[in-house]
Amino acid sequence: MNHNNQYVNKTFLYVVLSIGVIVSILPFYWMTVGSTLPSGKIFSVPPTFLPGNHLLENAKTLNESLDFLKIMWNTLFISVTYTVISVLISAMAGYAFAKFEFKGKSAMFFIILCTLMIPFQVMLIPLFEIVVALDWLNTYQAIILPTLASPFAIFLMRQNMLSVPLSIIESARIDGAGEFKIFFSIVLPTMKPALAAVAIFSFMSQWNSLLWPLITLNSKDMFTLPVALSSLVGLARIDYGQLMLGTTLSIIPVLIFFLIFQKHFISGILGGSVKE
Amino acid sequence: MKRMLMLVFILGIVLAGCSNKSSGGGADLDSDEIAGEITVWGWDVAAATFKESVEKFNEKYPDVKVTVEEFGSGDLYEKLTVGLVSRGSGLPDVVLMEDERIPGYVSQFPEGFLDLSEMGYDKHDDLFNDAKIQNVVQDGKMVAAPWDIGPAGMFYRVDIFEEAGVSADDIETWDDFLEAGIQVKEKTGTKMLPIDISNYDGVFQMMMQQQGLSYFDEDGEFAFETDEAKRSMEMIKKFHENDIILNNSGWDGIVTATVNGDVATVPYGVWYTGTIMDQAPDLEGKWDMFYLPAFEEGGNRYANVGGSSLLIPSYTDNKNAAYAFTEFFTTDDDTQLLGFEKYGLFPSLKSTYDSEILTQESAYFNNKPVFKNFADIVDDVPQINLTKDYAKASKIMSNTQAAILLEDKPVDQALSDAKKQLENEMKK
Repeated sequence: MNHNNQYVNKTFLYVVLSIGVIVSILPFYWMTVGSTLPSGKIFSVPPTFLPGNHLLENAKTLNESLDFLKIMWNTLFISVTYTVISVLISAMAGYAFAKFEFKGKSAMFFIILCTLMIPFQVMLIPLFEIVVALDWLNTYQAIILPTLASPFAIFLMRQNMLSVPLSIIESARIDGAGEFKIFFSIVLPTMKPALAAVAIFSFMSQWNSLLWPLITLNSKDMFTLPVALSSLVGLARIDYGQLMLGTTLSIIPVLIFFLIFQKHFISGILGGSVKE
Repeated sequence: MKRMLMLVFILGIVLAGCSNKSSGGGADLDSDEIAGEITVWGWDVAAATFKESVEKFNEKYPDVKVTVEEFGSGDLYEKLTVGLVSRGSGLPDVVLMEDERIPGYVSQFPEGFLDLSEMGYDKHDDLFNDAKIQNVVQDGKMVAAPWDIGPAGMFYRVDIFEEAGVSADDIETWDDFLEAGIQVKEKTGTKMLPIDISNYDGVFQMMMQQQGLSYFDEDGEFAFETDEAKRSMEMIKKFHENDIILNNSGWDGIVTATVNGDVATVPYGVWYTGTIMDQAPDLEGKWDMFYLPAFEEGGNRYANVGGSSLLIPSYTDNKNAAYAFTEFFTTDDDTQLLGFEKYGLFPSLKSTYDSEILTQESAYFNNKPVFKNFADIVDDVPQINLTKDYAKASKIMSNTQAAILLEDKPVDQALSDAKKQLENEMKK
């Protein structure tokens, strides 16, 4: 009886999970199928769920409207550079806030947290005017620099760094290690899950970022993926085939990035939640 | 994204209030030599037309280097707003804009755009129809140079009409249209027309424009409670009661219905021909058009949907070159026809209407000279008053339409509530 009950429970669980899987996968599947269909067929009723033979034509029109490789490179370069520097900055800042005592520390941390509440739109115009004054329109640095020090990442790193035992740091100091040596050789290696979490956040936010790159980029050869895809949406004509293909291609690098770091991801998020 | 834009707008008002930098100003057109570099912003097919026009422009003005930058239309407005808010930072020298957006931008940024009549554009007034000119003149300033327009018609499926035994020639009034719709529904099971009931009030707008109104009359007073508005809404309500409306969703829904043959007619601007031909190549020969039905026999059957114009931000540092391009682009027959032939952008420049491209018969559209049909009515489209509150009014009217059709709210009541709501929103 008990055994039977367990069996029913398990079946129920799998049915629910399967529905969840289908609901999450279906849009991606449909998007991928859409990239192999001509624009007119994508919205036919009933919907087509079998791949068509229009992939090459879609690739051709996509290639005509956008220099896709260059755009992929732009996005990748910006996202990777941003992620590396941003992770470093937030780790250093988080470490300082967690493990050093200095004057005005809590006030500074409070101010940093407060900036979390400021919506980006409020900073948009001042930032834009600065970028224009620096003559940085249409450049990589205009996109990378303004949000490098992310308050959320600093907060996350600080919470994680709190768990590093002070005794390890002190014994390293007694052994004569410099502060940078301690940070890079002792603290950072123990922080891999947190670093991975911040890296994923930074990478994804930069990869998907639309508003700021849209405002600062002007020429097609500098566009990032979201801006480029957005430019494919015409006023009265939208070639959904090429749009689907472009979108499908644009998620591949994120998928790879996420798969590499995901095993650290969950533990990194939870890492700061319990204080030992 | 809309909400973000709103924030930017609000910020714009604040910043614009602080700024007292005067705009534009500068040398007379004649005294300067026309040379230098200019940047032009546009979207998809319009940007493509800009690019292809540069060669001929350079034959006349060899010293002007034109760079065309292309964005999605929503993206372009965002960049434009940010640029105007930052007092001209990063703005192009010439920018494309949909006509219905012009009043909003001009009231938000009164100093943002050059008055083209001051540069001499008013001498071209006669080249365009009056309704289009009215769209580009705001507060007595001609802020934009007219480009394309969208005279409206009723696209219909010839085969479905035949099957149902309905003749397009017999449809002269909206009542006729309703009857035909009921017959089509009975005989073929196909609905008559697509309306996204809670998001799209385009059919209402077309009906209003036939009667010479937008959401406002020529004096800028609300037109929600007029007899014209009431009978338009009553008519749409009758369509709904007789179940001839396909309540689809958004632009994609209309395109889908068009491709799949879910509707027998689509009332839209001339530019929809391009969409039909692109998206439903298999339906060649099965589409045709007739003019919008009137409210009474012999009444006005003409309206306009969409259209765009060229503006010069007053922050341009080369206004002579910017003006030269704008003037050339909008008044050169070949350039205008190029945009039409390749991309379906219907010119407002009337001298193009005799050309072969615009008068020939179209195999796709039942071998009829569809474009000539549209060109013929351009002068008969009533002038209407687009105002800065156009977008707000349109949103409210869509909600009102939904309340009337889906929640059985009485038309009179709904329209007077709509007026109150708009009044309140405009006070904000």
